[in-house]
Amino acid sequence: MQSESARMSSAAEARFRIDAPNSKPRSVKVIALDEPSERIVKELSQRTWNRAAFFTASSFGGTPKQGESFSGWLSDLAGRTKNLIEEVNSADLVVMVAAAGENAQAASIIGEACSLKRVTTTALVLGGPSISDEALSKTLSHLRPWALMLVIATAEDYIADMLTALRA
Amino acid sequence: MLRKEQNDLLCQTGPGTPMGRMFRASWQPALLAEELPENECPPVRVKLLGERLLAWRDTDGNYALTDEFCAHRGVSLWFGRNEHGGLRCPYHGWKYDHTGQCTEVPSEPSESGYCQKIKLKSYPLVERGGVLWTYMGPPEQQPPLPEWEFAMVPASHSFMSKRLQESNWLQAMEGGIDSSHVSFLHSGELNSDPLFKGSKGNQYNMNDMKPVFEVVESPGGLYIGARRNAENGNYYWRVTQYVMPAFTMIPPRADHPVHGHFWVPIDDENCWAWSFDYKVTRPLSDKERKAMEAGQGIHVAYVPGTYIPTANKTNDYLVDRKAQKEGRTFSGVFGIAMQDASLQESMGPIVDRTKENLVSTDNGIIMARHRLLRALKTMENGDMPPGIVAAHQHVRSAAVVLPPDKHFKDAAKEALVVQTGKEHVTV
Repeated sequence: MQSESARMSSAAEARFRIDAPNSKPRSVKVIALDEPSERIVKELSQRTWNRAAFFTASSFGGTPKQGESFSGWLSDLAGRTKNLIEEVNSADLVVMVAAAGENAQAASIIGEACSLKRVTTTALVLGGPSISDEALSKTLSHLRPWALMLVIATAEDYIADMLTALRA
Repeated sequence: MLRKEQNDLLCQTGPGTPMGRMFRASWQPALLAEELPENECPPVRVKLLGERLLAWRDTDGNYALTDEFCAHRGVSLWFGRNEHGGLRCPYHGWKYDHTGQCTEVPSEPSESGYCQKIKLKSYPLVERGGVLWTYMGPPEQQPPLPEWEFAMVPASHSFMSKRLQESNWLQAMEGGIDSSHVSFLHSGELNSDPLFKGSKGNQYNMNDMKPVFEVVESPGGLYIGARRNAENGNYYWRVTQYVMPAFTMIPPRADHPVHGHFWVPIDDENCWAWSFDYKVTRPLSDKERKAMEAGQGIHVAYVPGTYIPTANKTNDYLVDRKAQKEGRTFSGVFGIAMQDASLQESMGPIVDRTKENLVSTDNGIIMARHRLLRALKTMENGDMPPGIVAAHQHVRSAAVVLPPDKHFKDAAKEALVVQTGKEHVTV
């Protein structure tokens, strides 16, 4: 007689797996940290997503001053200022997008907000093979303290693939 | 998640499939050299990429990998007589040489030359590093022989095993690049397995259960860096190598041999998990070799006379619930290889990836799929996939401690490629 493991892992048994949703859509907030990334994020926002929302922090370079509010550090793609804390608070995952060589200082304020609210962060750095190690290192140094997962991708379409894979 | 058509695309490797073409573009491990130990030894059935083949070795020592079945009536040549420079079908005496060319059809007058019109499909079979490698792609595109470092060191420095895994190749391979499971599933083995224990890196592993990951594209595939806290604000990095389509290399631990895998499709529901261990500058010690032969480290003990693991699905992987409760093994299954295989086989022969819920730490897996799909797309335009050229094969995994401002890809640049005469960089 076959063992239970042998029987239950067969292709024939796979058809008895419960065919019902096993998750609820997650809220994913995608934030461009610089102008080149903002262009890509704008393109992404035109597609259909479950619960992904797209923002930019590109106009908020530099680091916040001591005691400065978190509230004004984000805008939607139409340019309306959004409350960073509120957006982070309603997120399951925050994805920061940066172009290699660009200033990604806004990562610190977004990362701090995520840390405060215990929201997972992923950072995506886009850069082709022509980007110098130095330029890449500069961008990474801003992102590394604040990202639980950091991906350096050469192809822009990785972001869409990643968001799809995460059911965003 | 993947859409069904994407999952099918990556999981199907039979003749004529896109993913099958990618596997057929490079040399694949087909058998261990020990399986054909001498001239005129018994032939061995081989199923690879959904093709039924027969491996054998003729009177002059030529290796052969030919269609398993006689061109006459379709009987298996596994029953053939390996004699005088060829393999003779025992049914009506048709004989083939190591290239698959028929050399005798006894019922036909030899002057008719009929046998010249019969040729079995065959593939090259070449020994390197204790492995018999085959190339199953178009002959005019045959690349140079593989140059993976483990296959280039002296035989005394390396050990290779293979085991049957009853799942699609992709779910096995994805386990090889899924660094986040190690601190859970294999936690017992880090401190007990003779081929793992005693490394300072293990302490970093166990002291920091929430590693931070960095996934970086490499020319042949990916570097997957797992970062943990070390002393003085430094980071302990473990960098796994993935080279497309199916090579993975685990970061080293102390002076232990370095190990890794090939995940080679047998068909769409089974694969061979090839497992290698090697050192560059010294032979493996007797103790290390005996441990590997006994199935420790990433190897397994076999059902005698087979390459089927002793702990397998027919005996519920010898799961030990008491050991699980006592914390000696996290899943109740013993041994790193079968801890992985038991779970990957439990997904079913081909997991339905439309149902999965990946999280941020799965980006290594997401990127590997992305790169495979991207490579398939470029192959449509006639490009060759990554992983074929020697430079893509001259790679190493590494374990390093770096200052916090250093990117592992730059700071450990030399550690991630083969350095002739030097060992892996390890902690």
